[in-house]
Amino acid sequence: MDTVFVGEHLLPGKIGQFFIVLSFGAALLSLISYYFASTNTNKLDTSWRNLGRFAYSLNMASVIATGCCLFYIIYKHYFEYHYAWAHSSTTLPVYYIISCFWEGQEGSFWLWTFWQGVLGLILIFTARSWENSVMTTISLSQVFLASMLLGVEILGIKIGSSPFILLRDAIEAPIFSRANYLSLIPDGNGLNPLLQNYWMVIHPPTLFLGFASMIVPFAYGIAGLWMKRYAEMVKPAIAWSLFAVMILGTGIIMGSFWAYEALNFGGFWAWDPVENASIIPWITLIAGVHVLIAYKNSGHSYFTALFLIIISFILVLYASFLTRSGILGETSVHAFTDLGMSGQLLVYMFVFVLLATVLIVQNWKNLPITKKDEDTYSREFWLFIGAITLIISCIQIIATTSIPVFNAIFGSKIAPPTNPIAHYNKWQIAIAVVIAFVSAFSQFLKYKKTDMRKFYISVVVYMVVAALLTGVGVYITGIYTNFMYILLTFAALFSIIANGKLLGDALKGKWKLAGSAVAHIGFALILLGALIAAATNKVISVNNTGIGFGEEFAKSNNPRENIILYKNTPIKMNDYMVTYKGDSTSGVNTYYKVNYQVLDAKGALKENFDLYPNAQQNIKMKQIVASPDTKHYLLHDIYTHVSSVPLKEEEHENHDGHSDDENYDTPIVHQVAIGDTVRYKEGFIIVKGINKNVKIENLPLKDNDVAIGLTLEVETPEGKTQAEPIFLIKGNNKLDFGKKLDEQGLKLRFTNVLPEKNKLELTVYQKQKTDRKDWIVMKAIVFPYINLLWGGTIIMVIGFLLSIFRRAKELKSA
Amino acid sequence: MKRGSIIGIIIIAIAIGVIISTYADSSTYGSFIDAKETQKELHVVGKLNKGKEMFYNPQKDANYFSFYMVDNNGTECKVIFNGTKPQDFEKSEQIVLTGEMQNGNFYANKILMKCPSKYTQDKVEVTEVKSQPNI
Repeated sequence: MDTVFVGEHLLPGKIGQFFIVLSFGAALLSLISYYFASTNTNKLDTSWRNLGRFAYSLNMASVIATGCCLFYIIYKHYFEYHYAWAHSSTTLPVYYIISCFWEGQEGSFWLWTFWQGVLGLILIFTARSWENSVMTTISLSQVFLASMLLGVEILGIKIGSSPFILLRDAIEAPIFSRANYLSLIPDGNGLNPLLQNYWMVIHPPTLFLGFASMIVPFAYGIAGLWMKRYAEMVKPAIAWSLFAVMILGTGIIMGSFWAYEALNFGGFWAWDPVENASIIPWITLIAGVHVLIAYKNSGHSYFTALFLIIISFILVLYASFLTRSGILGETSVHAFTDLGMSGQLLVYMFVFVLLATVLIVQNWKNLPITKKDEDTYSREFWLFIGAITLIISCIQIIATTSIPVFNAIFGSKIAPPTNPIAHYNKWQIAIAVVIAFVSAFSQFLKYKKTDMRKFYISVVVYMVVAALLTGVGVYITGIYTNFMYILLTFAALFSIIANGKLLGDALKGKWKLAGSAVAHIGFALILLGALIAAATNKVISVNNTGIGFGEEFAKSNNPRENIILYKNTPIKMNDYMVTYKGDSTSGVNTYYKVNYQVLDAKGALKENFDLYPNAQQNIKMKQIVASPDTKHYLLHDIYTHVSSVPLKEEEHENHDGHSDDENYDTPIVHQVAIGDTVRYKEGFIIVKGINKNVKIENLPLKDNDVAIGLTLEVETPEGKTQAEPIFLIKGNNKLDFGKKLDEQGLKLRFTNVLPEKNKLELTVYQKQKTDRKDWIVMKAIVFPYINLLWGGTIIMVIGFLLSIFRRAKELKSA
Repeated sequence: MKRGSIIGIIIIAIAIGVIISTYADSSTYGSFIDAKETQKELHVVGKLNKGKEMFYNPQKDANYFSFYMVDNNGTECKVIFNGTKPQDFEKSEQIVLTGEMQNGNFYANKILMKCPSKYTQDKVEVTEVKSQPNI
């Protein structure tokens, strides 16, 4: 007989699973309907289209319902579900429950299919004559995404992975034979502490909206081929490509900002395969936007434009294959683990590659490809060259990122470069120089034909100005030792002033050009900010005090970047006097207060601030997860994280004959009256008074119960602090609630009231001195001019927005 | 010759350059014995020898961490890392080191661990809950 399990909530999972299957079926119906609507020759017959719209809306509704069920399960902490158990815990604040949602693969697929659904709905309303053909492609993709969540076995092949799998089905363990197994699982595994950051609430949705929107230009490209409306697809494709690159770009930079703010690798970009996977399609679609615009204005480069918008979406699929199949394995620290769906992901990708290839081959002869070369002094030619340069950039990133894929295909055993950052930078800085130059001087070119003389005069004038600025800039930032850095600074500044001129013209009335000018300025600032911050960031926590470990260190040229700080012992780092002041615990995090001071020549205080880098201590796993804290100035940041801290002892709970008191020295009992002072090893405690209005959480008091608090002021070497232990008579029992001051290693209990002596009993517990480990090992880095990078991003996004408004307006007037 | 073909040739040339550069910069997976024979940096995959001492004393030197690792061929070697000890190091199932051999010790400049971290491993942690609450 089957075991009847106690306390399970199976209904939300069943409803959720039902909607998953329904969303798959509806997507399939929508695909079929839109296909027949597209191939139908009778233009007046809208029945297929209406069925498609219905099915698509049903799919969207099911996707939303699935999301609601999953959210409900996580929110209610139903740990009988594997997803809730694996990704959440009861201690998690509500706003991070949203992050749990996309910590797992299933949730992030859900997010993708949700956004794709929303975009499809927008297209149903706005695409007009394109609706049927574009929606066919989107429905096809929606079918694939829905299948990722199915979690059913067909003919022995597992298709997708459902977020509604029960814990007892997902994992084999003896406890699942017990009917009351749920009562033995009090809490879930919790969310990875690194994801407990507000950026993680908004970064994944933005990134996935970006990925999802890449399909729209792709679908227009396919529809253009299929419906033989080759040139017509360009205008909507431009508008949607701009939207996709804007959102994806924002998402990528948010991720980079999150890495900088919450991770302790000490930077904003590490060329990690997961980062690379997201930036590759962004670069190809940026190239795509430029070539589409070139084609629209000159009739050149149609095939390149089509190829780029198609390959961008294919690369999104390739990126999800890389990050979700587990193939990156040893080369990346933050790829998803394998869920056995790599085959399915490959099928998804190959179907779309095949679809695009077949359609291009069929239509090859009819494509509007010009036989004539562009003029060298024309804007379209340089837009094309810029795009080609971006493609080369992508080839380089893909080649290195795909090393594990080559290994899997050819059975080779090549390891990725030992110094990936230097490897990528070598190529990408050179490419960035070319891109910045092209984005600068092509602003002086016109479509079709430009007056060479005028062109050279303006270019030379602006280059001279840029060269002067470069001289000043590299001198101030101190990057004049590297030729490539100087060249990139020059190119970026050239681009900023050339596009600044364009912006000036835009303000005078040629408003159409404003978007592109602003976006290019933003992009050049990003290059400049990233270059300066990456080239000149400096570890200031250099350890010169290490006591010798012999000769072996002399030979190794590794910088000694971590430094130990003892509590209240200042250490000089660069201009800063740095002091570790103590730690405090809030929720799961322990915050380490680190004080920075700058004194001027006379010894007066010039700067004074505290940073609170934190670490989550996981006592069971004996590990910490550290997050940095950063002081932001306009022109530089000071970034600090702890790399090693003394692990807190696991405090004994009151059970099995152990009590918390074992962590302390033998307590000292004091009989006190109000106004008395009690000494402890490092300070004293003043009894201030009695609080008769005490409320205790979760403990309702009856009329004859008595609860009183003892108001204490604790004078510590670090300053004053308050404490109020509580004494309670409930029924006939005496109880008390002590107060812990972890920073002081103190525990204060109000243990009795002695009316006959008119005294109160205060019991002071103090931790052994040796137990208090007052040091941290930390690392501090100064990042100069990093605000250029973040500011540039905002400017670039504004530029994209302006361009989208312009293109959307053109689309409406068309 | 058409300019289009010239551009095409240039792209192909650069693409070949990219692939050669990737190959030239790429490292190899090897054993400690391979590391002794080469001057190049390489990747060594292996397991932590939990039986031998791991040394990290931040109060003495915060940037010195040493341990013993057994590579996949079974060779053991002392590894020295100039940095802090990764806190969950004992739990690692597999270690990938990047670095080079010097005087019989392996100097790692990067350690990548695979951990049965609580965030990836499906292992139910059972807590026995008592029927009588404490007060």
